[in-house]
Amino acid sequence: MMKRYKDLVPWIIYFLVFGGMLFVRGGGHYVHLAMQIIILGLFATSFNVLFGKTGLLSFGQALFYGLGAYITGMAAKSFGPDYFMWALLAVPLVAIVVSILLGALSLRLSDVYFTMLTLAFAQLAWGITIKWYGLTRGDDGIQAIPKPALLTGNVNYYLFSFLVVTACIYFLWRLDRSPFGSVLEGIRQNSLRVTFTGMSVFRHQLLAYVISSSFTAIAGGLYAGIDGSIHPDMFYWTMSGSIILMTILGGMSGFFGPIIGVTIFVLLEDMVGRSTEYWSFVIGIIMLIMVMIFPHGIIGIATYFGKFFARKGGQVDNP
Amino acid sequence: MTTLEIKNLSKHFGGLHVSNDISMSIKKGEIAAIIGPNGAGKTTLFNQITGYISPDNGKIFYKGEEITGSNPEKLVKTGIVRAFQVASLFYDETVYNNLHLAALSYHGKNWNFFSNRHASRDIEDHCRFILERLGLSKKAEVKAFELSHGDQKVLDIAIALTMKPTLLLLDEPTAGMSPDERVKMTRLIKAIHEEFELTTLFVEHDMDMVFGIADIIRVLVRGELIAEGNAADIQNNPAVIEAYLGYEVL
Repeated sequence: MMKRYKDLVPWIIYFLVFGGMLFVRGGGHYVHLAMQIIILGLFATSFNVLFGKTGLLSFGQALFYGLGAYITGMAAKSFGPDYFMWALLAVPLVAIVVSILLGALSLRLSDVYFTMLTLAFAQLAWGITIKWYGLTRGDDGIQAIPKPALLTGNVNYYLFSFLVVTACIYFLWRLDRSPFGSVLEGIRQNSLRVTFTGMSVFRHQLLAYVISSSFTAIAGGLYAGIDGSIHPDMFYWTMSGSIILMTILGGMSGFFGPIIGVTIFVLLEDMVGRSTEYWSFVIGIIMLIMVMIFPHGIIGIATYFGKFFARKGGQVDNP
Repeated sequence: MTTLEIKNLSKHFGGLHVSNDISMSIKKGEIAAIIGPNGAGKTTLFNQITGYISPDNGKIFYKGEEITGSNPEKLVKTGIVRAFQVASLFYDETVYNNLHLAALSYHGKNWNFFSNRHASRDIEDHCRFILERLGLSKKAEVKAFELSHGDQKVLDIAIALTMKPTLLLLDEPTAGMSPDERVKMTRLIKAIHEEFELTTLFVEHDMDMVFGIADIIRVLVRGELIAEGNAADIQNNPAVIEAYLGYEVL
């Protein structure tokens, strides 16, 4: 009983914070920020299925973020606003196909070689997007992407994104607690033993990669609708890098850690960005300090205090 | 009836012949020991039987069917399960969760990504049963890294047993243990061998244990099988004394 209640707490906070955004009056700016947070939050949460859960550091998840954005953006731009939704539905399907291909190639390698190969694929996608002007409009990106009337306006689009992201995050949360999630944790800790308990490490990693990449692509597709403007930099390695940073900042060991990391990062960027043009420098310093003081991320602090109080109260956490 | 049949198995790494034309057959229900000095190719033989590496030449048959070249995860599902020389555990997990992961695999739940991992009553019973039989029940909620060395080795075997093996391979089950723990481990292996109706093949350096429980002993030296027989045969075999036992206190 106690356990069920404990599981609900992060969800209650999630709904209070992100649902509450809809009721902030005259807070157009904050709704806009919240939109970025939940979409990047989905990206980071999907990424963490690979990183924190399975122990696979992909440095190329931006590939799927960009892919989702460009499919959605190009379809709506070429065929009209009604195709925005259809494109968004097609995004995970395309991502599944692409991630099976790239996953099958890159998961043959381990550790740093896997990381480097994922980075190489993403940079390749970035290069193609920049050069293939006829299809992608190159460095100009795609501007003024039309959306259906129903999704126009910050509040409407936020509500829509919030619903999609919440459904996706709920799915990933179920996965986190599922038997499959258990296998992924096993692979992270001791892949040899997973093999000798009769399970294929490669096939489980591949499914994790496909799921992670598909949800990342959905996040990218949603991003195309925020301002109706996308750019090849969504494929660039700095995008993958930021997600890794945000995930570590929030804490990769907890399911909600990445969302917390994204929230803090985006809010910091907004606050610091308003007062100085050297905002990336300031954020770099802040991140450095936070990672040094809290090596397990923000979630790590919460866990620490949780244990501290549990001990003080003389209670043992008995699952 | 023969559980495992090895025919002319050879494996070399460069110029080093780690398995040199090894043939042996292991009968259903026997406890067989493989002994030999360090570097004799005992672990490599295990790795070939369990499918972790493929032999260069020769064939392996399990219950009459050829399994040469099969991958480890498939072989585990057919009942060939191994434990490790250095306990191979999920160290950050509790003892219970170590078995739980194996049980998920045994019950074919490992692809389920939407239900609660602890929902299945069958799996829970399965784990509790193994914990009980191996005397780990009281430590069920202890993290694997917090266990004593001896208990880690027991847990390693417990994970293997969770897969309900027919043929259990144990790589130095008493390695690094105190004399006291060795006696316990020897008893445990004998007990599970009988209770779970296993065919057990183990590699070991502890001669008291080998001569104490093995029905048949095979001696491997520099990749070659030089002798096989019961304790008395092996102790009196001149080639064995020359190559190996000469160093040991018999």
